[in-house]
Amino acid sequence: MADTHPTNVPAVQINGMNKFYGHFHALKNIHLTVHRGEKVVVCGPSGSGKSTMIRCINRLEEHNSGQITVLGTELNDDVASIDGIRREVGMVFQHFNLFPHMTVLENCVLAPMLVRKTPRAQAEAAAMRYLEKVRIPEQALKYPGQLSGGQQQRVAIARSLCMEPEILLFDEPTSALDPEMISEVLDVMVHLASEGRTMICVTHEMGFARRVADRVIFMDAGEIVEEADPETFFQSPSSDRTKQFLSQVLGH
Amino acid sequence: MIRILRHQKVRNILLQALFVAVVLVVVVGGWRNAQQALSSQNVVSGFGFLQKSTGWDVNFSLLPASPNDPYWWFFVIGIVNTLFLGTLGLVLATLIGGLVGIARTSSNELLQLLGRLYVDFFRNIPLILQVFFWYALVTNLPSPRNAIDFGPLVLSNRGVYMPALNVGGWHVFAAAVAALAALALPLWLRTTRRLATPPEQRGALVWRVLAGGLLLAAAILLLGRTPGSPLIDAPLLQGLNLRGGLRVSPEFSALLVAIGIYGGAYIGEIVRGGFKAVGKGQTEAAHSLGLSPWQTFSRIRLPLALRAMLPILANQYIWLIKATTLGIAVGFTDFFMIVAVTINQSGQTLEAIGILMAGFLAINLSIAAIFNRINRAIALKGNQLRS
Amino acid sequence: MNTLANSAAVAPPGRVQMLRKRYFPTPLQGLVSVVSAGLLALILWKLLNWAFLSAVFGADGSAADCRAAGGACWSVIANRWRIIFFGLYPYAEQWRSALACVAVVAMIVLSCIPSFWRPWRLAAVWIVGTAIYYILMKGGVLGLRYVGEEQWGGLALTLFIFVATCLIGFPLSIVLALLRRSNLPVISRGTGLLIDAVRSLPLLAILFAFAVVVPFMLPGWLQTGKLYRVVFGAGLFFAAYQAEIIRGGLQGVPRGQEEAAMALGIGYWHRVGKILLPQAMRNALPATINQFVIGFKETSLVIVVGFFEILASGNAAYGTGEWTFAYREVYAFIALIYFVFTYSLSRYGAYLERRMAISSR
Repeated sequence: MADTHPTNVPAVQINGMNKFYGHFHALKNIHLTVHRGEKVVVCGPSGSGKSTMIRCINRLEEHNSGQITVLGTELNDDVASIDGIRREVGMVFQHFNLFPHMTVLENCVLAPMLVRKTPRAQAEAAAMRYLEKVRIPEQALKYPGQLSGGQQQRVAIARSLCMEPEILLFDEPTSALDPEMISEVLDVMVHLASEGRTMICVTHEMGFARRVADRVIFMDAGEIVEEADPETFFQSPSSDRTKQFLSQVLGH
Repeated sequence: MIRILRHQKVRNILLQALFVAVVLVVVVGGWRNAQQALSSQNVVSGFGFLQKSTGWDVNFSLLPASPNDPYWWFFVIGIVNTLFLGTLGLVLATLIGGLVGIARTSSNELLQLLGRLYVDFFRNIPLILQVFFWYALVTNLPSPRNAIDFGPLVLSNRGVYMPALNVGGWHVFAAAVAALAALALPLWLRTTRRLATPPEQRGALVWRVLAGGLLLAAAILLLGRTPGSPLIDAPLLQGLNLRGGLRVSPEFSALLVAIGIYGGAYIGEIVRGGFKAVGKGQTEAAHSLGLSPWQTFSRIRLPLALRAMLPILANQYIWLIKATTLGIAVGFTDFFMIVAVTINQSGQTLEAIGILMAGFLAINLSIAAIFNRINRAIALKGNQLRS
Repeated sequence: MNTLANSAAVAPPGRVQMLRKRYFPTPLQGLVSVVSAGLLALILWKLLNWAFLSAVFGADGSAADCRAAGGACWSVIANRWRIIFFGLYPYAEQWRSALACVAVVAMIVLSCIPSFWRPWRLAAVWIVGTAIYYILMKGGVLGLRYVGEEQWGGLALTLFIFVATCLIGFPLSIVLALLRRSNLPVISRGTGLLIDAVRSLPLLAILFAFAVVVPFMLPGWLQTGKLYRVVFGAGLFFAAYQAEIIRGGLQGVPRGQEEAAMALGIGYWHRVGKILLPQAMRNALPATINQFVIGFKETSLVIVVGFFEILASGNAAYGTGEWTFAYREVYAFIALIYFVFTYSLSRYGAYLERRMAISSR
């Protein structure tokens, strides 16, 4: 799939994007470019608009002005371009959002079969491959309700991988997990990061950011306040707001 | 061209336009066909027919009625009949439902079983079948000659006779209003914050209002009494028929009994559901504070259960009012039957159906509005019911 | 009081004590128990006596026998059961009517089995079942004599009205529920208005309108038999109520479910068909079964617009000649038929609700 897009265009390019909820200005003049294969971590206090921003990238939220270009296709009202972009952009949610009435395997093969028209046997083989990658193949025939939170989140990661997306979005993937389950999910994410896929992660896991991020973005009150490589970001942040935030999350 | 169809906003507008177009075609097409069909039958459309006299009569009316009265007056009679039957039906159903609900939530297993049998039996048989049954039962009663004396009631195939007051209709109505006000005002007086005196010190005022209202009602009744007749008029056999007293026709009694019993089964379930929604913790807390079983019931469980059941009860009441349309099955002139006969007699099909819809809409909306008010007045702040 | 509590604490409570604690914990409760038990016994005895002990059975019992016996007169059923079940259907062809009823009942039982709860299987069962009913009843093919709808009646007609109401109403309710939750304001408001308007009217008024008024409104090429119009009206009424039930079920599906499907690139129809509706139907199942129960009971209203369904044929069964006194027996018999259907359906609904409450833990 990677070959269908010219490699010289950036994965995601956001230019002067604004987003309003009624009168509330949720995202203010966002500029962001993510290159192919880049790992970007987005952090910031709650309500700062980080989730909204990445949800705009696969149009779970509609932006009000500005431009979003994903893999060279502009995201606008054209239904075909929205469908095309969603096929190439996977997303992992805070609350997993697995389909509770389907087994793990059915969850994984659903989209490839419906959207990519992959034959069932082939889709199942691919699904098993990805379930092994997230180290959970033995649970393939169980229902999501029978799994722990960490296991469910790993299934959710495998499910989005089954669409072989060019870009993966993570929307606070560990926030809803019990503490002892966070590391099993982070391990899988670290492993994924080594494979060259573009990843944009909204997360509070600063350790993860330090280890895998090429770039860390700090958002506050709907704006991108700071944008730097992890070294600079954690050692010598330029903005006071960043310093304050870091002292709060790393403080003790 | 095809590309523009892929545009989301264009698509949304087109879809909505399509929806409006389909609705318009159905409505306008239907309207025009009906106009043509009716005018070919020489029916003049419009509401002019409301002023014409009907030429037929109703078999039950609280208001004066004759075949010379215009259609609009008959519609009023129909609505009043529907509301009258509906209100009495609701009261009866609520009384039965309250008893059944209490039986079903009681701690006594035998009583529970009785309640359950009642609900399962009456709820699983269609209402219209029950109406037919009671109607057949009343019309198969002995003739007035051999009528069954049932305390003050006399049962015969001409209907149910009961003692009545020898008082004019309007005076009865006014007295009923006064008595109701005498009962309702004290309830309001005990809780309202609009008066200067605090609620605890209004005891004497409340009693005075209650006594005054009841006295007023009695005075109105005495005033309206037909001169030279006894106050209470009991049914008596004279010749082949019963004279005197109040006759409730077989149609009305069958409908009232059926609606009361059937509605009682449903309301019983609603009452049970309301009590079930009150958490066990509430009762336990009340017991642990040393409240007696009666205090726990009247101060804790009942008020909470009432709040839980009100919204469902409103829907049930609307349903029961709509059930009065079964009057047509046994020939009771409720609102719906008046409309049906109007269509039959005058051919003013669309207009009459329009009036029917407007009437029921008004009734439903009023019930919903009343319940919304009650609901708002007693609503708990926040959501504290389930905890 | 004290000694009783003490002895109960030492020795395990005996049978008598258990009963005593259950039914006579206080004098008042004891009185309630006694009165309830007496009432239950009285009802049971009266019913037993009327229905069995003093009753007259068999087709040979005459009206005179019944009057003498004082109990139920089941002879009226023995003599008139054919009219109650089949109405005015031609006598020689009534086996077809009976088979058609069996087919419909089998279809309803099949659709209560969870392994049939796949859209295509359910649709197949209902379409095949209804087709069998229709061919058997109407004839004109396969060497069966033609019998017009005006000759259908009794239980067979009641079942047809129920099945046809569901066949029209259920798919329509899904369509209405989806339109109602559309994010296009004109469509969702317009559908909401339609649903509320239908719900605010009595079913009887709708049946009447479809029987009497709608023929004026339809163009010539859409004119159909009165039976089909009335069934359509009943289906519309069913759909308006069921649509709100499904909407409630849809609201119970977390928003994230649709978002996850969107993020995977799954299109609207697949989102609705594979993700939202399966979950919504599961949420709405108890209320849906309740709605079917109500729908079945309400088929009886078509008697008012002049159909010879089971209630009308029951009236005819006792209304003529020597049996005019036997209304109780006929109504009891019809009530029993309704009761068997609706009670078993609602028990089944309660069972499903319990089962789901356990599995969702």
